Amino acid sequence: MSRVVFTMVIAALTLALGGELAAVRGQAVSGEYKIGVLEPLTGPLAFEGKRHLEGLEIVRDLINEQGGVMGKKLVFAVADATDPTAAASEANRLITREGVKIITGTFSSRLCGAASEVAARHNVIYWESSCVDPRFNKRGLKHVYRTEIDATGFGWYNVEFIAKHLAPRLNLKPNQLKIAFLSEDSSYGQGVTESARQRAKAEFGMQEVMLEYYNWTTLNDMTPTILKMKQLNPDVVHHIGFGNDAVLFWRQSKEQNFLFKALVHAGATGYGGADFGKALGNDANGVFALLEPGPGFRLEALRPEGQQIERAFRDAVQKRTGTYPFGAHQLAGSGVWLLKLVLDRAQSDDPEKFRAAVLSLDLPVGSTINGWGVKFSELGQNANERVQHYMLQWQNGQLVTVWPEEFTTLRAKWIPLGLWDQRK
Amino acid sequence: MDPARPLGPAQIDVLAQLAVATILLGGIYALIAVGLTLIFGIMRVVNFAHGEFLMLGMYLAFWAFALYALDPYIVVFVSIPVFFVVGLLGYVLVMRGVIHASHNVQIFTTVGLSVVLQNVALVAWSGDFRFVRPWHLSTVLRAGSTTFNLTQVVAFLIAVALTVALVAFMKWTHAGRVMRATAQDRDAATLMGIDTDRVYRLTFAIGIAAVGAAGVLVAPLYSVYPTAGLQFVLLSYVVVVLGGLGDMLGAMLGSLIVAAVEVAGSYLFGAAWKEIFYFILFILVLVFRPAGFFGQRGAETLGV
Repeated sequence: MSRVVFTMVIAALTLALGGELAAVRGQAVSGEYKIGVLEPLTGPLAFEGKRHLEGLEIVRDLINEQGGVMGKKLVFAVADATDPTAAASEANRLITREGVKIITGTFSSRLCGAASEVAARHNVIYWESSCVDPRFNKRGLKHVYRTEIDATGFGWYNVEFIAKHLAPRLNLKPNQLKIAFLSEDSSYGQGVTESARQRAKAEFGMQEVMLEYYNWTTLNDMTPTILKMKQLNPDVVHHIGFGNDAVLFWRQSKEQNFLFKALVHAGATGYGGADFGKALGNDANGVFALLEPGPGFRLEALRPEGQQIERAFRDAVQKRTGTYPFGAHQLAGSGVWLLKLVLDRAQSDDPEKFRAAVLSLDLPVGSTINGWGVKFSELGQNANERVQHYMLQWQNGQLVTVWPEEFTTLRAKWIPLGLWDQRK
Repeated sequence: MDPARPLGPAQIDVLAQLAVATILLGGIYALIAVGLTLIFGIMRVVNFAHGEFLMLGMYLAFWAFALYALDPYIVVFVSIPVFFVVGLLGYVLVMRGVIHASHNVQIFTTVGLSVVLQNVALVAWSGDFRFVRPWHLSTVLRAGSTTFNLTQVVAFLIAVALTVALVAFMKWTHAGRVMRATAQDRDAATLMGIDTDRVYRLTFAIGIAAVGAAGVLVAPLYSVYPTAGLQFVLLSYVVVVLGGLGDMLGAMLGSLIVAAVEVAGSYLFGAAWKEIFYFILFILVLVFRPAGFFGQRGAETLGV
């Protein structure tokens, strides 16, 4: 008798457990859609790469709360792209071992080129959310897309701001402005700087007094550069910094009492990163950085559907990190959100169907996260004028949105910058 | 800024400031290089993990400041014994095993140690840039139109003091004499009854203590992150080679030369050129004076 009971218990347990396992496995097979995620999670770029991953994960969870992609739960196969070699080999691994059909990433212009080449060889879709190398979309790769503007777009917006906002407030015509270009020498820095130089000269006739590139990883002292600039007396310093170089330039400019009227940067690195404020506190006051929207950004300026997703995104970031979204969150987050819109429209990851869906998507400014719109070119590049960018300024320890003025409640201060100890 | 323009007061001001920048930057390089040249000179080991010990020193300054609000100038006194022990452990656990091995093995070992330390820092403290901001951080001393960053002045003075102390130690103490004897001929030293293992242990510990203290002192000037050491380490090798392997005063002078090349190159030609110039100098020295500007001829092969 007891033996019978024992056998029955075992049988019941086996069935129950087996059923459980089958159920779990069944869900895994039919209910998930896996994409590859490549970010630099170790090495010198890790500090930003990890934030990008955080942004991707936050929006992935939002997407899954709202029905996932193509009716399936979105999941990530994450890989560490610490340098271009690793980016290429990890892209390979994601495709051949994890079997993904779409890869997204990769924060740095150093990495996106290498990784997307591999994806293209395997006929896998590469969905870039943040690298800005202008060459990225110009290599004839058919299934490579970028949601963010490229570096030439950054340069375009920076000069727009300098000519249309700074010049009038300085009581100067754009062609009277003396501008010094200083930049770290990655393809990102060069892309932004060269496009800004070109537009500043060709469209506005600004006077370029200096152009200098440097390698930020080995830069230990900027005093010689600052002394040289001081003698050239520029009105505006257009400085694309990457990391410690931004802090060094600003601190040593103060030490040398180098006075200029404004400093303009672009991107989430250097002056545009939270670390700049942490390093300098209120001494950072006055610096401009072209970015995604920050505090002061008016939700009411967006379209209703844009307001809804932007609010949900901000709340989710706040809940997970306790802060307003950083640029890294915003780039990665809006990138994966746009991927969802495309996948839901295509209902397929077949590269041709996917491409048709990408090219047919046409959303005006204000439709999605960051107030962006969507209109991809044949090259797979989202349009400059749809990917609305904003000028932020360091004001008392915080980067706040100050331009274009219709999108913000806050206003740019310290124009011209004035004496170093009077920027309060 | 045309360098060919005749010297006026403005040009003289700039020259003075460039000279100051050279000396202060040289001070930082000397501070970092002095421990490296000691290890290099006595042990004949190229310590590729030197930059990572610097990074650990920077993190010590950061955590002491962030958690206990301790000023780096207090922490520096704590850092010396702490890193002395770190050096002892590093020697016992890693270096002792390869001290008699070929140079290739030693290079692989220290490069491995460097990668391990970077990644330990990354795992333990994340890749974020951290900052140490004591109240005196942006204190600037002015003399005429020339400005001196206080933190850099202190780093320079300590670098000088450390160099002088090490030179005196090597010259006039028994331990120093024993260390020099070991450097000159390890086998003969062993025959004279010198415990060379003990000498190497002491050398490594002193070298690491010096670079740990250097890390604490430079932490307020630069960002603290797991690969912060790489910014300085390549340059330290140039300094050590210029000065002559194992020559402490040479390292000091080598630091000033590298800083001068860097400052003048950045000013006259642009910051992108500075590495080209000092690596050309590096190659020239290796080709024409392999023992360094100040080292004795043949010293580079001593004891190998």
